[in-house]
Amino acid sequence: MSLTHTVPIGKRLLDGNDQVAAANRRRFDDAGVLVVNVMASPGAGKTSVIIRTLDALRDHLRVGVIEGDIAGRIDADRVLAAGAAAAHQINTGGNCHLEAHMIAEALDALDLRAVDLLFVENVGNLVCPTHWALGEQLKLCVLSTAEGHDKPIKYPEIFAASDVIVLNKIDLIELVDFERARFYESVRALNPQAPIFEVSCRTGAGVEAWAGWLRAQAPAPGVDTVTHTKGRWPA
Amino acid sequence: MHEMAVMNYLLATVEAEAERIGAIRVLTINVVMGERASVFDDSLLFYFDLLTPGTRAEGARLQVRRTPMRFHCAVCDEDYTHVDDTFRCPRCGTVGQVTDDGSELLIESIEVES
Repeated sequence: MSLTHTVPIGKRLLDGNDQVAAANRRRFDDAGVLVVNVMASPGAGKTSVIIRTLDALRDHLRVGVIEGDIAGRIDADRVLAAGAAAAHQINTGGNCHLEAHMIAEALDALDLRAVDLLFVENVGNLVCPTHWALGEQLKLCVLSTAEGHDKPIKYPEIFAASDVIVLNKIDLIELVDFERARFYESVRALNPQAPIFEVSCRTGAGVEAWAGWLRAQAPAPGVDTVTHTKGRWPA
Repeated sequence: MHEMAVMNYLLATVEAEAERIGAIRVLTINVVMGERASVFDDSLLFYFDLLTPGTRAEGARLQVRRTPMRFHCAVCDEDYTHVDDTFRCPRCGTVGQVTDDGSELLIESIEVES
């Protein structure tokens, strides 16, 4: 006779991914590398923000980039041409977000000792990337003014989960009827703490303030980082 | 959009758990999905039907409990869920504090036959 019973599980659905992300995180912390998961819609300016930041920090930090795209290596070539210390392209082959195991595989090809700051540029998407932890210490959301001030209402999770927000294409703000007050109101309801930087990658406005803030989050290069970074960020 | 990936992780966990306890068949899978998790029922069920044949979860019932994002308005001293294009309290217009974030993606339990 068969027996029917209910078994409690009580696990996060993406527990398998979270465990790989935790292992990635240990590698980043041990190497003293600050890792930033860059999330945004296609066309918001993820690659442009990375390139502007690379340029602003080139005398201070060695910057590496892992590029996640459905296909092609255009972005990896762009960041290398812009002076990235290392770049690695992941092609997800259709997957709408990066997952922790993809980063673990990329780390076999990318020498963490060669970088101080590592950007992981996620697949362009405001929904899926937020759920898959990669092991990063910081989640960065880039929104461009052209996308509209209502995005935090429509896609709350990414704004709630991000540690820092860059509002790009600020030079277009008057042209695209982006209502700044409504944007800040919605973001602050979800996320009272995250710093918000208004930048224009086209004109360079605001880049210095953003890059300066980011630099202050990174461990000082040359410092023996194992003890330096442990406990710096909540797991 | 990410329902297939979510379903893959869900079924891997369910299958491992069913095997661990020696279940013959999974009858029901109880999951919690928050509003903010942006997982859609139709798409989820589509992948569930696609990925379960040949596993212990074939023919199982997927029960999804939805949790909303909730706010508390200090002025009205009332909880509310947001409407339309604003997070403001529908009574007084103040922006309240988030109390339940609705970001859950959990497997609560499974009902199995053993």
